[in-house]
Amino acid sequence: MQGSEQDDMQGFHWMMDMLQTVDVGIVVLDKSFRVKVWNGFMESHSGLRPSQVHGKSLFALFPHINEAWFAKKAKPVFELKTRAFMTWEQRPYLFKFYNYRPITGSEPHMYQNITLAPLTSTSGHTEHISMMVYDMTEIASGKKQLEAMQVTNEEQLERQSSR
Amino acid sequence: MISILVCDDSLVARKQVAKCLPSDWDVAVHFAKNGQEAIAGLKQGKGQLLLLDLNMPVMDGYETLQTIREHNLSTQVIVISGDIQPEAYERVMQLGALGFIHKPVDPATLAKELIKLKLMNEAADGESRVILDADIRDCYQEITNIAMGQAGDHLARTMNVFVHLPIPNVNIIEASEMHMMLSDIEAQEEVSAICQGFIGSGICGEVLCILSDSSFEDVAKILDVKDKVDDQLQLELLMDAASILIGTLLSGLAQQLDVTFAQGQPLVLGQHRAITDILQGSKMQWKRTLAIELSYGLEGYNVRCDLIILFTEESMHTMNTKLAHLLEDL
Repeated sequence: MQGSEQDDMQGFHWMMDMLQTVDVGIVVLDKSFRVKVWNGFMESHSGLRPSQVHGKSLFALFPHINEAWFAKKAKPVFELKTRAFMTWEQRPYLFKFYNYRPITGSEPHMYQNITLAPLTSTSGHTEHISMMVYDMTEIASGKKQLEAMQVTNEEQLERQSSR
Repeated sequence: MISILVCDDSLVARKQVAKCLPSDWDVAVHFAKNGQEAIAGLKQGKGQLLLLDLNMPVMDGYETLQTIREHNLSTQVIVISGDIQPEAYERVMQLGALGFIHKPVDPATLAKELIKLKLMNEAADGESRVILDADIRDCYQEITNIAMGQAGDHLARTMNVFVHLPIPNVNIIEASEMHMMLSDIEAQEEVSAICQGFIGSGICGEVLCILSDSSFEDVAKILDVKDKVDDQLQLELLMDAASILIGTLLSGLAQQLDVTFAQGQPLVLGQHRAITDILQGSKMQWKRTLAIELSYGLEGYNVRCDLIILFTEESMHTMNTKLAHLLEDL
C-alpha cells in the first residue's frame, strides 16, 4: 500500500515537473479570470514569476487583452464545457511575448494558438478553465513567406501575359 | 599607406583587433585565420605589420614567427595573445616579435605599442569607440569560461576526446556587422548550422552552432557512428553535438546568472551552404547584440565547430545588473 502511495507521489512529482518544463504555456484561470497556475513557459516568456501573478486578474497583468472580448470567448467553456480556440491567423498573439529567435528570426513577437479548456471540479461544476499557449511563430513565418512568394509569382505571371 | 595583417583563428578577435586600430590611421587591413594564411599574405606583401595570435590551428603563432625568420620575410610583428605566461612572452620575443599585448586588446594599449615601434605618431588619435566596459566584458568572459569548462567536461566524458577550451570572445555587434562576422568564421568551406533560442527572467537570445562540412566524418568517428554519413545522418550528428554543447553551456550560464532558461526546439538554418547564406531571409529586427563566440577544436580530429551566443540588447541590461552585483562582491 505504502509502495503504491509512493509511486503515486512520484508520478505526481513527474507530472508537475513536466507541466513546468513543457514548451507550451499553461495557465489556470478562475471565473473572474484571476491566475491560479502559471507554468515555466509563461514565466520565461513573460518575465513574471508565479508569485507575481498568482491571484491577480489577467487583464490587470496584461492590459492589452480586451476583457469583454476574452470573457465572451471563455463563456461557453464555463457554461457548455466545450473548448474554445484562437488561432494565430485570426489574432497573431494574445500575450505579447518575444519569440525564440529574437536575433535570426524575422518576426518581432511570438505567434500563438490558444486553447481554452474547462476544468471540472469534484462537484461537476466548471469553476476554472485552463489556457494553453502554443508557439506558432515558425509556422506563421513560413506561411507568410510562402504567401509573399506566391503573390510575387502571380504578379510576374500577370506582367508577362499582359506584354 | 601601411598594410596590416590581423591573424587570429577567432573571428570576433580579428574584428576586435581591427576595431582597436586608430580610427584616423591610413591603413589597409587584411585578415588571416592561421599562420599558414598569414605567411601567404605576407608573401603577397599584405602585412608590413602583423598582429599575431599564438594559439591557432594549422600553424600557431610560434611556428609563424619561426617561418617568418626562416624565409626572411619583411614584416614587423606584434603578438596579441591570451597566453600571459612569462615564458610565452620570452619565447615570442626571442623569435623576433617586437611587442606583446594581452587579450583582450584595447585601443589605448595598441596605440601605445604602435607609437613605441614608431609605426604611428604620438599625435595620432589612439581612441576608437569603446564598445564594452572592460570589467563587464571580463565578467561575461569569465562566466562563459566557467560554463564552457563544464561543457568541455561533458564532451570529454561522453565522447572520450580532449577538448581544447577556446577563449570566449565577447563583443557587441551591430546588425550591419552580422554578415561580416559570419563570413569571417568560414569563408571557403560550406557549413551546416542550427540555432536554438532561449528565454528566461528577462534574458533571451539564441545560440548558433556552426559545423564545417568537412568535420562530419570525424564527428561520426567520435560519436562512434559506423553507418554511411549521408545527409540525414549528418543532420543527426549536428543535432547531437549541438544539443550537448548548447545544453551544457546554457545551463552553466543560467546557473551563474541564477535564472532558468526555457529552450525552444532547435532549428536547422541550413545544410551545406555558404555561411553567409544561413541567415538569408531574416530581416534583422534588432540594432545591436551581445555576441559571445567560441571556436571548438578537438585534439587529433579535424573538427571545426563554432558556437555563437547572441543576447538581445534588452537582455544585456538585465545581465549587466546581475553581473554588476558580482563585481561589487569582489
